[in-house]
Amino acid sequence: MENKSGTIAVIDYGMGNLRSVWQALVHVAQGRDVVVTADPSVVASAERVVFPGQGAMPDCMRELDARGLRQAVLGAAKNKPFLGICIGLQMLFEHSEEGDVPGLGVFPGRVRRFPADSMVTPEGRKLKVPHMGWNEVSQSRSHALWSGIENGSRFYFVHSYFVDPSDKGCVSGTTDYGIPFTSAVARDNIFAIQCHPEKSAQAGLALLSNFVKWTP
Amino acid sequence: MLIIPAIDLKDGQCVRLKQGLMDEATVFSNSPGEQAAHWLEQGARRLHVVDLNGAFAGKPKNEKAIKEIVEAVGDEIPVQLGGGIRDLDTIERCLDNGVSYVIIGTAAVKNPGFLHDACSAFPGQIIVGLDAKDGKVAVDGWSKLTKHDVIDLAKKCEDYGVEAIIYTDIGRDGMLSGINIEATVKLAQSLRIPVIASGGLSNIEDIRKLCAVESEGIAGTIAGRAIYDGSLDFAEAQAEADRASEA
Repeated sequence: MENKSGTIAVIDYGMGNLRSVWQALVHVAQGRDVVVTADPSVVASAERVVFPGQGAMPDCMRELDARGLRQAVLGAAKNKPFLGICIGLQMLFEHSEEGDVPGLGVFPGRVRRFPADSMVTPEGRKLKVPHMGWNEVSQSRSHALWSGIENGSRFYFVHSYFVDPSDKGCVSGTTDYGIPFTSAVARDNIFAIQCHPEKSAQAGLALLSNFVKWTP
Repeated sequence: MLIIPAIDLKDGQCVRLKQGLMDEATVFSNSPGEQAAHWLEQGARRLHVVDLNGAFAGKPKNEKAIKEIVEAVGDEIPVQLGGGIRDLDTIERCLDNGVSYVIIGTAAVKNPGFLHDACSAFPGQIIVGLDAKDGKVAVDGWSKLTKHDVIDLAKKCEDYGVEAIIYTDIGRDGMLSGINIEATVKLAQSLRIPVIASGGLSNIEDIRKLCAVESEGIAGTIAGRAIYDGSLDFAEAQAEADRASEA
């Protein structure tokens, strides 16, 4: 397959509509091709890769394998600018409590459910799971994808599980919801985030725009 | 996805209107506080309160009822309030009364400067409610159809920094004919902020259809008549939505 320089591939493994992700990327891509694809060879030849998704982890892993996309994702995570979003972050870890399934193991650590006994604010107000709505992301360290985004900016979240990396060195962002949890990780060519940048107004667009320009 | 019970207030009572007509109101409860507590007990995580007299008068008219609602549930869950909110003093007063989000409707269309100021003065607390028919925005309690394209206007709201857009397809509201999923998704896809679907939610099928497009940015849906007349069981609907948005 011809190496199509500049293409941004959004991996489609059949879990949910990806049009919003696609549109947000097109908005910031400055004319570059953004393709939604389930074709491993398109992923392999893309310049950079977005790994989004929604739904339950066992379903997502099953659908990824059913479409023969596992190797393409692992390959892209090795050497291309790679952005994981939501379950696309969680799937990069070794194991998820959701359905007790193994993930892709790109990052050491586990995906945990928000513990019921911690779901209260400091003021004593009960918090519900899923964590749904806008919340602040504190940047644990500087990163090209945080460029121009104020520390503590608000992003849009929808999730019941969060990643718990064994190597805290990869933690790039944290958020408080009853407990502090890891809301972004980064290592080499990979950046992955729990919230939905495509639904996070200006801060989200800035992050996607940074990703499009990022040279790890 | 959040299922947000609606409490529409008219003359201090909880009512439902049919297609926005004031004289076609059905009274559901004389006690707004009790009604709010009921939805909290059913597992609601946010309430949607509309001051109908306020919407028609252009200024809040049901302050006592709103205070009762906030007193009943405000410590537990956020309350979003719309209806006649057209200046900064009114917003401040609502927020002082314990309302978490104010919904600006007509004023967002007629007076963009006001919306801009509101977003600057009260960041994170402004929601815009856009009512539309065939893609065109309606104002003044649906009595006037404007020339504004709903997507263009919503994008402008997004630029100002509003928290979310509540989209109501008014051809269908109150008639239980189902949410206009297609139009709602089209709007959500065009925006970088969440959309809350409204107008005609009728049964669990609607919830399932909305869950299927949640990833387009549908943050929630407002449940009105259907949860009052029993065609939709609130707790069951929220449980269904929670199952769908696991991750």
